[in-house]
Amino acid sequence: MLALQILVDGFAISALYALGATGFTLIFGVSGVLNLSHGGLMVLGAVAAWAATNELHVGAYLAALFGIGVTLIAAFATYFVVVRPLQTSRAIPKEETEIFVLTGTLLWGIMIQELIAYFFTDNAKTVLPIVEGVVNIFGVRTPQNEIFTAIICWVVIGVLWLIVNKTRSGKAVLAASMNPRGVTLLGFELSRIYIAIWAIYGILAGIAGVLLGMFLGVSSYSAGPLTGSAFSIVVLGGLGSVSGSLVAAYVVGYLETVTAYMISPAYRTIPALLLLVAVMYVRPQGLFGRR
Amino acid sequence: MANLFRSRIFWIALIGSLVALLLPLKVSGYILGLLTVAYYFGVFSMAWDLLFGFAGEVNFGPTFLIGLGAYTAGILNGYGVPVYPCIAAGAVMAVVGGVVLALPALRVRGPYFGLTTLVAVLIMMNLIVVFAGFTGGEIGLTVPDVLSIDERTNYYIALIFMIVSGIILFALSRSPVGLILQASGQDPVEAGALGFNVTKHKLAAFVISAFFSGLAGALLVFYMGTASVGTLVSISVGVQVIIAAVLGGRRTIIGAAIGAIFLIAAGEALRPFGELSTFIVSAIALVVILFVPSGLLGLISRRGEHA
Amino acid sequence: MTTRHHRSIRHTLLSGAAAFASLFLAAQAQAADPIKIAVIAEAQAIAGASIPQAAQLAADEINAKGGVDGRQIQIITYDNKSSSADSVRAFQRAVSDDKVNAVIASYISEVVLALEPWAARLKTVMITPGAASNQITKAVHDDYEKNKYTFHGYLTSAELAMSVCDGAKDILVNDRKMKTAVIMSEDAAWTTPLDVGYKECLPKIGLQVLDHIRMSPDTTDFTPIYNKIEGQKPDVMITGISHVGVQPTVQWKSQQVPIPMLGIASQATNSTFWKDTNGAADGVLFQSVSGPGVAVTSKSVPFADAFNKKYGNFPSYAGYTAYDEVYYIADAVKRAGSTDSDKLVEALEKTDWEGTIGRIQFYGKEDQFTHGLKYGKGLITGMISQWQDGKQVAVWPPEIANGKIRFPSFIKAQN
Repeated sequence: MLALQILVDGFAISALYALGATGFTLIFGVSGVLNLSHGGLMVLGAVAAWAATNELHVGAYLAALFGIGVTLIAAFATYFVVVRPLQTSRAIPKEETEIFVLTGTLLWGIMIQELIAYFFTDNAKTVLPIVEGVVNIFGVRTPQNEIFTAIICWVVIGVLWLIVNKTRSGKAVLAASMNPRGVTLLGFELSRIYIAIWAIYGILAGIAGVLLGMFLGVSSYSAGPLTGSAFSIVVLGGLGSVSGSLVAAYVVGYLETVTAYMISPAYRTIPALLLLVAVMYVRPQGLFGRR
Repeated sequence: MANLFRSRIFWIALIGSLVALLLPLKVSGYILGLLTVAYYFGVFSMAWDLLFGFAGEVNFGPTFLIGLGAYTAGILNGYGVPVYPCIAAGAVMAVVGGVVLALPALRVRGPYFGLTTLVAVLIMMNLIVVFAGFTGGEIGLTVPDVLSIDERTNYYIALIFMIVSGIILFALSRSPVGLILQASGQDPVEAGALGFNVTKHKLAAFVISAFFSGLAGALLVFYMGTASVGTLVSISVGVQVIIAAVLGGRRTIIGAAIGAIFLIAAGEALRPFGELSTFIVSAIALVVILFVPSGLLGLISRRGEHA
Repeated sequence: MTTRHHRSIRHTLLSGAAAFASLFLAAQAQAADPIKIAVIAEAQAIAGASIPQAAQLAADEINAKGGVDGRQIQIITYDNKSSSADSVRAFQRAVSDDKVNAVIASYISEVVLALEPWAARLKTVMITPGAASNQITKAVHDDYEKNKYTFHGYLTSAELAMSVCDGAKDILVNDRKMKTAVIMSEDAAWTTPLDVGYKECLPKIGLQVLDHIRMSPDTTDFTPIYNKIEGQKPDVMITGISHVGVQPTVQWKSQQVPIPMLGIASQATNSTFWKDTNGAADGVLFQSVSGPGVAVTSKSVPFADAFNKKYGNFPSYAGYTAYDEVYYIADAVKRAGSTDSDKLVEALEKTDWEGTIGRIQFYGKEDQFTHGLKYGKGLITGMISQWQDGKQVAVWPPEIANGKIRFPSFIKAQN
């Protein structure tokens, strides 16, 4: 009974982690950027969807779309205002671009978080769920919302897989993540690929944020921990490896759920962190890292 | 050329120190209290800059070292150990923790090193909450003793500590050891090929950075009379340390201290904006790294970039 | 004050007539000198945001009626970003630079406990409108001479537990024959004494405590907690939550946990709680000191309405207490005839003021909760409200109730 409960609950949480981390790792794979405003963008999507229902009085679907749209715009802003200027700046030596992008996106994330707190307070918000009610899965009373979350996550990840593997521009993106220079030789403009990848990223982060808002609720305080968990999952799976991130998301998700049920909810995050440290020492490139 | 640069930084630091020494004659106790905290943060940032600017390693967890020093000192004091031995113990503990963290962490590079240090902070935060009986948990630890209750005494302790630390760290960064560090930060393979033991030098940098971070953390505890996750260990404190160093001008040591003072002063000056002040400080910092990546000190001495 | 005094002495030495004039002028200046009250609060949290707003409203009302003996009340606000360090800085600044006469500070116990030594060091009156920890009054009791400057303008955790138990006895045990409870509270300074109080008073009213769950205030997923509680089959969950609120409520509803919740849930007292939870708050029972539309005293409803008119939402619980505090500080200044801290402390100790939350008196030096609010019938009893269809409905005590308890369909309890 308890095992089943853990199985069901862990699945949805892990799916959400997987979706959140996928966009994050794609960006790194293609452009080498670790976007530390990730959590801020996710929270922004959820709060925008909340505001759409409560301030603009639209339905649950429209609100969700609105939240995703706002995140998409914010993701583009992140790229054009922060990331690209830093990458192309001549005043910054090449070997230091990374730390500048990290610091820049971190500051950007804090700005987003502060603006949300300013306009909507730092109290938690929940997005109007698209489906409500509970169903019984082998005796485990499961909110339909939780099942919905898991399904959407996997559908989105599936669609992404199709785009990347079956379409021409998708293949270019995939190629770019392996060898950015090679793609330019094939006649693709790298800057276009960057824009495409940030668009995908924005949509993924938006969906993940809105779903999280429906499932657990978010506050501006969640931004930091969300970035942290995406970062850990992506490193655990191997930076730039999408399939690695998916596996790592499930490892972390289940480890947390098992800890919360079997030991105490207070220790929830500790075993995953220890695992992360252990993996870094034994296999610094992550479980599925290419390097 | 190096001399010219050195002298310019020297004059800025000298004039700044003189102004700071005479400040208590003019300003209120409140401003002194503010600057006291800023000076300790200045040491945090300088210690971080030694590791980043010279050894090329991004330490996302400066608060791990700060927290080790602070909590060791605070907890010992609770058992009746006098203040100064506590501070010494805090610094030693930070060095020990720094070695334990650095030995494996230095095997990996780039974002992986950064992540290891970040995770160290997360684990530490969790442990502080789990062992709330010793550490005071989320509420924080109240220490029985303080350095002094006089604002001016506290101010001078912090100021002199910052100046001495600054001189030592700056001298170190300009010494042959510092040059080797810089070389290994930029191109570890070449530095290795030239016969330098890169890891050994980096470890030394980490230990020195840990020593000053831990010492400053312990002193700060005995200034404030409390230690808590929110003021000493949380990620946002670490972020402030890093932003201060980048803002002030990395690879300058002195710039890091200027950045820390600037951040705290800016936060105070923007107080009328209330809830938006953090937003504005972050926006200013973002603008600086976008348009003046060499930092505030780079702005003053345009040669900062190629020191 | 002292400088002005010196100045007038110097004038006296010059000449008799001039001295007379200058003394008169000094008196005039003193009369026009505003009474400054600092408000240090969490501007970004809903509970905290009401504090400066309510204080300002009270000051405006007093000033419109001519102030205190001709002196206007000036509110100076500081945002502490929910941080102890920022609060200490703000307190220092308020006293040394802005020269305030009294401080109203924070709804977070950790923050108030960090400020209490500073109130003692800087000898400045400090009143909290919303923190609950027993430690605050305990420090005053244990070292009265040092800590007498701190007053607790909200119920202590022990009193909150009493208030919840008094309400639960009537509405759960007597009316609904409930027998068992699980305590669910967040790990924080204010809940330690609250839990002690719960464990002591719940068995006395006939609710057996099956388990006691303390969770981290950072918890986001409450599924494992609800799962564990449900396994123990209690009739009710008794809550002690403040930093969390929206998330446990929403998950309670989405998982259809069939056990009602009653207790301290600070966020539920906010008028925006329904919106924040998208209506998941329906059926949540919570203790409070006052609420919109509930005439706890004759002042409660006019205040809530005036607040709503001015700021567009109803005040949080700390808004009511902060509003009262400005009034009784003003009252104490008037009675003391001075803003001198020690005289102000003496006057505040004699406070007998009908506020928006009840009749306000403080416990004395010898009582257990020195400088805490007196609890009991005819003073402050608190009340139990329930969220129903977007509104907070008072359900206990019967004298002020304006509705009946009604649970959502997934709760297995009789309505």
